[in-house]
This record gives sequence, structure tokens and C-alpha cells, in this order.
Amino acid sequence: MDDYKFLFKVVLVGNAGVGKTCLVRRFTQGLFPPGQGATIGVDFMIKTVEVGNEKVKLQIWDTAGQERFRSITQSYYRSAHALILVYDISSQPTFDCLPDWLREIEEYASSKVLRILVGNKIDREDREIPENVGEEFAERHNMYYLETSAKESDNVEKLFMQIAEDLMKQARTRDLPRYDSNNQTIDGRTSTINDSSCCSRLQ
Amino acid sequence: MWSGCCGCCSAFRPRYKRLVDNIFPVYPQDGLVKSNMEKLTFYSLSSPEKLDRIGEYLYQRAARDIYRKKYGFVVIAMEAMDQLLLACHAQTLNLFVESFLKMVQKLLESTEPELQILATQSFVKFANIEEDTPSYHRRYDFFVSKFSAMCHSGEKEEVRDKIRTAGIKGLQAVVRKTVSDDLVENIWEPVHMDKIVPSLLFNMQESGFHKKESEAIDGGQEDTLDPPMLAETCMRELVGRASFGHIRAVLRPVFRHFDLHKLWVPNQFAIHTFRIIMFSIQAQYSYTVVETLMAHLDDNTKSSPTIRTNIAGVLSKIIAIAAGESVGPSVLEIINSLLSHLRDSVKNEASQTEEKEYQEALINALGEFANHLPDYQKIEIMMFIMSKIPFPLVNNNSPADNLLQSILLKSLLKVGTKYQTIHLNTTFPVSFLEPLLRMSLAPDPDMRLLVQKILHTLIDRHNNLEKLSKPTVNVADLDLVLEKSSRPDLIFINKHGPIIYDALYTSLQIDTNVPDNIEAVYTTLALLCVELACAETVIDLLQLTLGIQSLALNSTSLSNAQKFNLHAIVISLLMLIPTVVNIQPLANYAAQIAEQRKQEALHLLPDLYSHYSDNSEVANKLPHLLVDQMAVCEYVKESGIDPSRLQQTSPYGAGGPGLIAGSQRNSWIENGARGSIIELPIAEVDSAASSPGVQKKHTEEDLNFESMKKVLTEPPEIRKEAEAERRKMLSHTFRTATFSELVRRTQPKHDVLQSKLNEIFKSLTANENRSPTDEKKEDIIPHYEQNFPELFYY
Repeated sequence: MDDYKFLFKVVLVGNAGVGKTCLVRRFTQGLFPPGQGATIGVDFMIKTVEVGNEKVKLQIWDTAGQERFRSITQSYYRSAHALILVYDISSQPTFDCLPDWLREIEEYASSKVLRILVGNKIDREDREIPENVGEEFAERHNMYYLETSAKESDNVEKLFMQIAEDLMKQARTRDLPRYDSNNQTIDGRTSTINDSSCCSRLQ
Repeated sequence: MWSGCCGCCSAFRPRYKRLVDNIFPVYPQDGLVKSNMEKLTFYSLSSPEKLDRIGEYLYQRAARDIYRKKYGFVVIAMEAMDQLLLACHAQTLNLFVESFLKMVQKLLESTEPELQILATQSFVKFANIEEDTPSYHRRYDFFVSKFSAMCHSGEKEEVRDKIRTAGIKGLQAVVRKTVSDDLVENIWEPVHMDKIVPSLLFNMQESGFHKKESEAIDGGQEDTLDPPMLAETCMRELVGRASFGHIRAVLRPVFRHFDLHKLWVPNQFAIHTFRIIMFSIQAQYSYTVVETLMAHLDDNTKSSPTIRTNIAGVLSKIIAIAAGESVGPSVLEIINSLLSHLRDSVKNEASQTEEKEYQEALINALGEFANHLPDYQKIEIMMFIMSKIPFPLVNNNSPADNLLQSILLKSLLKVGTKYQTIHLNTTFPVSFLEPLLRMSLAPDPDMRLLVQKILHTLIDRHNNLEKLSKPTVNVADLDLVLEKSSRPDLIFINKHGPIIYDALYTSLQIDTNVPDNIEAVYTTLALLCVELACAETVIDLLQLTLGIQSLALNSTSLSNAQKFNLHAIVISLLMLIPTVVNIQPLANYAAQIAEQRKQEALHLLPDLYSHYSDNSEVANKLPHLLVDQMAVCEYVKESGIDPSRLQQTSPYGAGGPGLIAGSQRNSWIENGARGSIIELPIAEVDSAASSPGVQKKHTEEDLNFESMKKVLTEPPEIRKEAEAERRKMLSHTFRTATFSELVRRTQPKHDVLQSKLNEIFKSLTANENRSPTDEKKEDIIPHYEQNFPELFYY
């Protein structure tokens, strides 16, 4: 039902083919779509989770990795509460692109956005980037780090729950307005009005 | 949660809830219960204060049904909300709208395509309602985000198109809803535009453009529109609504989209899109698009020439649309920008074919633009381009400079061809004519040819250019269009004729001329003759013609072929002049000479060749085939024209060209500055014995100078050569002098131009061999020194 208390926008970014859509699908629908085509532009999913008896609604914007869609995807960074930067642990190039992505995030996203680095596809045998390398990178850039497998459903749930908890903590400490469905004066624009003020407070 | 028991205990529930519950049928496929819906509508109309609660309750029911995947009921709830929304026009609608939008959002959040489409439809209905109470806090960014995402739907074929269509319609609705209301969200914020514009473009590029033909046939019915067409419509609307401050917000994502999707090459889609933009944009802002496009060209200086060529191609396709609306500085701004792109391109030393194409595209754009400007602006533009051409022409160190000059001249020619001359004096303001003539003496033959072509297109008013492009003695066959020249034209030629004739004459002396050059000069002269046909000008022209002949006879530097060419144009001119001004005896005389030459010396007749057979006899040995000055005078006199000027020693005689050019320019500047019209402006500085009729202020100085020079240079043969050499150098010095710039500076009406010019000038001095201080020195030379240029020079 619809009586969530918090609404957060989560945006996934990263090179094409690292498994962003699969992560989202696994989390929201519990399935791993084999032969998932490349995302066009932006995809949208919603999932409500429970953190400590409070309902949290996650709006998940799954962006296309292909460069040609960069213009549209970038416009989604700005209002994000959390950015999940995904790379493929079995593909060095996707890891090498991370600094570029960070630069882009710096440019387009809010400076206080919660950033998470995710190394996906740990089910693969042919790992190219050792875990500690990813971890170091994340540490150096002040990000959370997690390794997942959308296929095996490893850490996927954990990833999003972690984000929800963190954002909630952040929201509480900074006294975010709550998305209370009983307090109906503002609910028509739920996502919108509140998170904008939230963003501004985050800064 | 409490709504779960609605069925059993409805009697104890508030009335509005009961009414809402009753609109739902037992089985969703039965659809909305119409009679109960009417009751609900009546109730909400009679007690509008309950409207917000009804909305809220409907929303909750729908949310629950979505959760339970009972989509049939969701559809019914949405329908009910639509009806209520349309039925109620109360103040309280505002509150109802909140739950309505919440409902729409809820539906959009679902993964069911059906519900998303339904939600979009409802949103469109909502957007069409005029609300009378502003809602300050309502925001639409979820809708923009979601609709944009829908525009990129990657579902399977049919569903995909439906969702994309819905997305586009949704965006259209958001735009409509927000632009008209200043109090709600500003849709023009980049955060929205960066989503909306790429989404529309993405759909436009998908397929529509290529099968546009077939689409046009069954277009018209709104419902059957496919996403590309719809996106296009939406784009037009969006651009059409954009005010000045918002244009850039719209254009920026367009450029980004084209860059990222690599849509510049090939550029059909880009052209298509920009035409749409140009035609939809409010006309007064259209030049902004051009500006932005040009700025984008700036950003792409590092990109491959192909991309730049294509961008420039787009520019040339749309620039005409903007031209009609451009005024004042923006025009020069655009031209300036185009020129600086050309300049940059030329500086890219490696001028491959692609770079050439790029330059070509830019010149085309320039021409297109000029073509659509009013004539008075064309002149301004030509002068502007002129001011950009690097001087001096002689001291070209780099081939790049040379290339730039010829490219700028090409641009000038392009603009010139679009210009329709009415009065010569408006076409050739001094500040334009003077540098143009200076350029007609450039060392590079191709460049000289270009300048002549510019002159042709500007002088020719009666489409005689084609007919006069080759010298001929069969003037009667030409079928020339003649018109009596007007008073202003005569004043013009009286005032500026000498410098024009002199420049043409001087350019004939240059030994690098090929037949094309000589022909071009002929064409210029012939056009002048045709355009300014009258007794007053005929003497000058005849004088010049005779001058050319004596040049051909006496010159030491010209090759035989060039001399033959000169003879050929002399006879052609001599045929043309009496035909135009109708001096029958002279015409007969010319025809007679032509006939004789035909029999004895074909090489002295047109056409012009660069090589003649070795046995062609030099004209000096065939005096009976030459044009005789006395005879000409005689025939002219017979027709009642005073030939006294013709009888005097020709200014174009044996004397050096440089000196004539130099001193003449001086006098012209002097007189020009005083604003007087020179009646007999040919300063006959060459012979001390000459010119009783010519009263020049500084004749005496000239005479002194002359006599002094004579003393200096006694042996005639050596003298001639040395003099020619020295004069060549001299004339260069003079051509590069900046005196004329001073004159121009005193003319206030070219202020804008002037400031630009000064800029250029500054940048130019860097290229020049001479240091700026040198130049300054030259600027402030006292007048007498100008008349003793040699003294100064050494």
C-alpha cells in the first residue's frame, strides 16, 4: 500500500553491459532476465521496502550505459539521493572508466549525494579486478563499496537496503520532512516537493 | 486498510465513501456504474468541500487495487476521477487535483503499460483544464522524468510505440500546463529541458524522418500519429512557446543530443530538425539559433572537418530563414563569426580536401545569408568582408595569408552576386571601392581575376555580363541591353572614374597576367562602358583604350602574347564604344581596322590565347593596323563631341604606372576629403610639357619632381627599366599605405564597421613586415613628401 514515510531517488550509472538493469530487475521483480537488451534512455522502477518498521519507497532510475544517451541520463543525476556506480568485475575497461563517471557525477549530481560503488557479476569466474582494488578505489573517493551478483542474487537486496537505511539515517539527522500518507496536505506531489527540499537540506 | 471491509458495513460509513464505493461494479469488466457515478458527481457539485476527501478515498482504493493487481477497478477509479475533474470547477478543485495527480503518478509507477497509458491520458485531460487558482507548490518533475523515460521505452514493438506515444503526449501536456502559468514550475529549467528535448529528438530520429513521404499522406488524424510525427509536433509547439530567455535552454540539449548521437554526419536529420526549429521559433529570435549554431561550430574547432562541414551545411540551410529577421549588429555579428571561422580554417595549415569543403560550406552559408538581407546591408557586409582581408597583398609571407585572401574574396564575390546594383554610387562607397581596386593589383593572378569578377557582378545591371565575358569585334551580335545612364551614375564615374580606369590600366601592365585576367579587365571596361554610356564618359574610355594600345606597343616587360591580347581587347573596345554611344563614323573606322586585321594579322583580334605562333608579327611593324589617335579624334569630333581631352597627351602614355597611381591617389584623397568633385582628375604628372587644361593644385610639385627625376635618369633605355622596377616597388608602397584608412576614419557613418576594422588592423600589423611605428610614420608624412615618394622611400 501507499503509506510510506520516505521516498528516495536512486540512480544507477555505469558503462554499458555491466548489469545495471539486471540489478534493478533482481531487486524489484526478483528475476534475472537472461539476454536483457541494452537500456534505451532511462528506465524506471519502484520498490517499497521496510526499514525498522518504516516504509521507504525507492524510486529507481536505471540509466542507459551507452554514451549516446548521456545527455538524457545526466539530467537524472541532479535530483538523485543516491547514485549507484556499477562496474563489471570481469571487465577491466568498465573499471577504468570509473574516474570518468565520477567526474560526470561531480558535474551533474548534488555534491552530497550518497555514492555507492558496486562491482557486479561476482558469479563470473574470470574476475579481472580484485576485490581490494575496487575497495581501495571506493575508499579513495569516499564511496561505499559492495560486490554483487544479479544472477545469483548476491548482495542485491543488501545493496538497496543499505542505501535505504543510510538515506533514512541521513534524513532523520537532518530532519527531513516526512512523507506521511496521513499528513495529506503535501502528498499529491510526494516525490517531488519533498525531495527537492531534502536535497537542499542535504547540501 | 480500513477500506477492506467497505462491502459489509457500508451503512456506517460516511456518505461520500458510500457513494464512491457504489460506482464500482461487482465485476470490473462491467465498467463504471453510470447512474451511481451521476450521483457521486451531483454530490460533489453540491458539496464541493467534500471533493478532496472523495479524491483521497478514490486514490486509496486505486492504490489498493494496484497492489492486488485488480487493474479493472483501477481503470474505473481513474475514469471516475476524470469525470469528477471535468465536472467540477470549484475552488476546491485544487485539493482534488492533488489526489488526482497522486493517482496518475501511482499508475505511472506501475509496470503495467496499460495503466501507464491510461494515466497519461488522464494527465492530458487534466492539462487541458484551465485552473483558476494557482498552485504554487505543485511540481511536475516526476512527470517529466517518467514521461521522458516512457519516450525511450524499450518494450516490444506495438507496446513500445504506444508507450512512447503516451510519453510524448505526456510531455506535451506538461509543457502546455506549465508554460501558461508563471506560478507553477518553470518548465524551461535545464533540468527539465535536458529530459524533454532529447526524448523528443530521440523519437523524431527513430524512423519518422526517413519515411516522411508516406507519412504525409495519412497524416492529419491526431490519433494515428506515430511517435516520430507526434514528437515533431510537440517539438514545434515547445520551440514556438519559448521566449527569448528560454531559447538557449531548448537549444543546448539539442546540440548535445546531436553530438552524442553523432547526427551531424550525415546531416539530413540535423537539417530537418533545425528547419523545424527555425520555422516554429518566434521569428524575432531566429537569429539566436544561428548564433548558437555558430557557437557550436566554435566548440567543434577540434572536431573533424567533416563534422564541421556538415554543421556549416546545416547553417547554410537555415541561415536564410534567419536573415529576414536579423537587424543591425546581429548581422555583422553573424558575418564576423562566419569569417573568423573561415580564418581559423585557413590557419589550419593542413588544408586537405575536407577542410576545403568546410570552407566551401561556410562561404555558401555566407552567400545564403547575404542573399536574404536587404541590399543596403549587403553593401555593408561587403565592406565588412573587405575590411577583413589582410593587407598588404605584396608582403604575403605565408601561403595561408594568400589563401585567406582568396577565400575572403570568394566570399565577397558570393555576396556580390546576390546584390543587385541600382546606383553605382551606393554600390561603391569610397571605403569599398578603394580597397577593392587596390586588391585588383594583387600579385597573384587568381586573386586579380576574382576582384575583376566581383567588379563584374557589381557593375552589371542589365545582365550583359554573359555577353561581354569574351572580347569580340562583332558587337552587333551581342544584343546588349542598354539604358541611358542616370545622373548619379555620371557623377559617380566623374568622381571615381580615374582611379577605376587607372587601376584597370595598371593591372594590365602586370606581367603575370594570363588571358583570363586580360579578358576580365576587358569585361569590366565593357560593362562600365555599357552601363555608363554617354558622351561625357566616352572620351575617358577612348583615352584609356588608346593608352592600352600604347602600352602594348611600348611595354618592355610584357610578353608578345600579352601584347597581342591587349591589341585584341583594344579593338574590341573600340568596336563596342561607338556602338554603345552611337558614333557611327568611329564605328566604321573600328570595323575597317578589324577587317584589315582579319586579313593580315589575326593574332591582333580576339580570341585571346596564351601562345601565338612564332611568325605572328609584332604590332609595331604594322602601323596601318593600329588605332590612330588623330583619326579617333576626328571621328569623335564629327559626332559633336569635344575631343580636346583626347588630343592631349594621354595620362596612360609611356610613363610609369606607379607614379600615376601614386600621385593620383593622393589628389583623390585630398579632394575627397574636401568633399569636392573632381572634374578632370587625371593628373598628368608624366610630362612636364603637358596639361594646360588640367589645373592641379600640386602640379608644380609634380613638375619639379619630374624634372628632377629626368635629370637623375638620363640614358633612356636603362632609365626605362630601372624606372619600371622602382615604380613597381613604389606602387606597392603606396598600395599598402594607410592614408585611405585615415580618410575612412573621418567618415562617421561607418562607426560599427570602423571599430571592427580597427581590431583587424591591430591584428594585421602583427603580420606585416613593417613595424607599427613605421606605419605611423607613413601616416603622418607631410603632403609634399607624398609627392616625393621616392625620396621617402630611400
